[in-house]
Amino acid sequence: MTEALIGFGAVLALVLLRMPIAFAMGIVGMAGYALETNFRAAISMVGRLFIDTAQDYGLSVVPLFILMGLFVNKGGMARELYQVSFAFLGHLRGGIAMATICACAGFSAICGSSLATAATMSKVAMPQMRKYGYHDRLSTASIAAGGTLGILIPPSVILVIYGLLTETSIGKLFIAGIIPGLIGIVFYLGAVKWTVSRDPESGPAGERTDWAGRRSALMGVWAVLLLFFLVIGGLYGALNFWPLNLAFSPTEAAGMGAMGAFLIALARGMRWKDTYQVLKESAFTTAQLFSVLIGAWIFSNFVNLAGLPEALLALVTENSVSPMMVMVLILLVYIALGCIFESLSMLLLTVPIFFPLVTSLGFDPVWFGIIVVVVTEISLITPPVGLNVFVLKGVVGDVSTGTIFKGVTPFWIADIFRLILLVMVPALSLFLPGFMH
Amino acid sequence: MTSILPILRKIAEAPTFVSGMTLFALMVMTFCDVVMRSAFNAPIEAASDLTLIFMAVIVFTVLPVVSGRGDHIAVDLLDGFFGPMAGRLRDGLISLICGVCLYWPAERCMVLAERARSYGDLTEFLNIPQFYTAWLVAICTALTAVALVVRGVVILIWGLPAEKADK
Repeated sequence: MTEALIGFGAVLALVLLRMPIAFAMGIVGMAGYALETNFRAAISMVGRLFIDTAQDYGLSVVPLFILMGLFVNKGGMARELYQVSFAFLGHLRGGIAMATICACAGFSAICGSSLATAATMSKVAMPQMRKYGYHDRLSTASIAAGGTLGILIPPSVILVIYGLLTETSIGKLFIAGIIPGLIGIVFYLGAVKWTVSRDPESGPAGERTDWAGRRSALMGVWAVLLLFFLVIGGLYGALNFWPLNLAFSPTEAAGMGAMGAFLIALARGMRWKDTYQVLKESAFTTAQLFSVLIGAWIFSNFVNLAGLPEALLALVTENSVSPMMVMVLILLVYIALGCIFESLSMLLLTVPIFFPLVTSLGFDPVWFGIIVVVVTEISLITPPVGLNVFVLKGVVGDVSTGTIFKGVTPFWIADIFRLILLVMVPALSLFLPGFMH
Repeated sequence: MTSILPILRKIAEAPTFVSGMTLFALMVMTFCDVVMRSAFNAPIEAASDLTLIFMAVIVFTVLPVVSGRGDHIAVDLLDGFFGPMAGRLRDGLISLICGVCLYWPAERCMVLAERARSYGDLTEFLNIPQFYTAWLVAICTALTAVALVVRGVVILIWGLPAEKADK
């Protein structure tokens, strides 16, 4: 166990020295494995992992979901979602920030990345909120927080990777994310309401849209609904009616979603140049993610060989710590790590260690997946790293990160309440997957 | 030095193009497979073979470019603590170390590729020799190692003031 903990510390130190996370985990994992066995065995393990990871059918879902998200970006669907949310909520005090949260949630239903959701929505929602005199603090915070829903509401790249890592059904994970995602929306709307009740000037009401306007805005989101039902309906087996027999594996769902998003974007005037840009960006992101995946697998092989999961379990049973206490400690570790690591690396580094412990304590793997993703969402808006905040800063430019972090505080607190609720009531995550075959 | 950068950038376009186009092909193939299976009960049987080959191409051809550009996911939390010289030394050394450490996996992948060739391993439906993919992985890993070492040396000698070295 000591060797694994030293390894963990070494990864942390190298990462803080700005070594790419993939290499920090890979190099420490390789060295640790060599010390536990011998150099030849370590190199063999690493070489095998390189070739096997490149040829893992299950992983092909990752580039396809990334591709879908980027095509969705080009399809102008963010604007339509925003318009429909504005039509229904814009006339309330703080309503435009609420509309932003709802549009973010809608966008999350067709995009699996939080950073992409925050980046896209900031381009659409920020000018509107400025137009109506919203304080930067509230407007940027609502986008940064709303964007985090991207990895919880299906499809979600992070849930896919969790599923592949732990051999948990990706379909069940996706369906399990829906209710916690909806709770997230309600809590965030509460955070907006709380902010404007304390400072009414921060979010003045916009004009009311009549029912004709609302109806036409609703008609505008057909593309989003179509894509969502194609992907999630196909995964759930809900599109299984004559003459079609549409029940997808995750890879197929991602492929159908990407193709659908591509065709919609094409119909809306996407040029070859944009298409190529999307393909290029997806390929780059895929290579980055796979590097981290390979690094994490090398590291987790070392950690397993060094017996960390068993040692942790023995420690827990010897000291008769209650399972819930263990869960609280694990969540505290996640919140602390979230201050340093970006979401995927944090997941890959910790899940191989905690997952065996959590399942042997009797927790449900699907539920743990949702909890891990919710904690990861929190890390996206936690200082000092809070990536969503930095994405927003990158797009908006003239707002300080301090202002955004300050505005995000009520949303962060709402997230903590949601986390507690989801931990206390596992049925909220497990109710829907219970209906899946 | 500055005259080499545009050339390197041009060279980097080729693997990027291959990777992007393969991803597009993967998307179209998956779509066609599902439609053929659902509507005509005639799935593309070679799709699973091709998916595995496409995946290796998508990930590994572009890896040297991502590495050479310094685009890997990293944490810049402590950047403020390093002065320009110390930061340059740190970045150069780290890139060098990463590149050198990739030598062994690259070599091992080559050994595994050769082994697959001697066994005559073939893919399930199309009977394509599997060592082609293993070779691709080995060669691209070696190129990634070279890209990282070159990047490290460039940073140590010339630094990277305004732009990143491309491949």
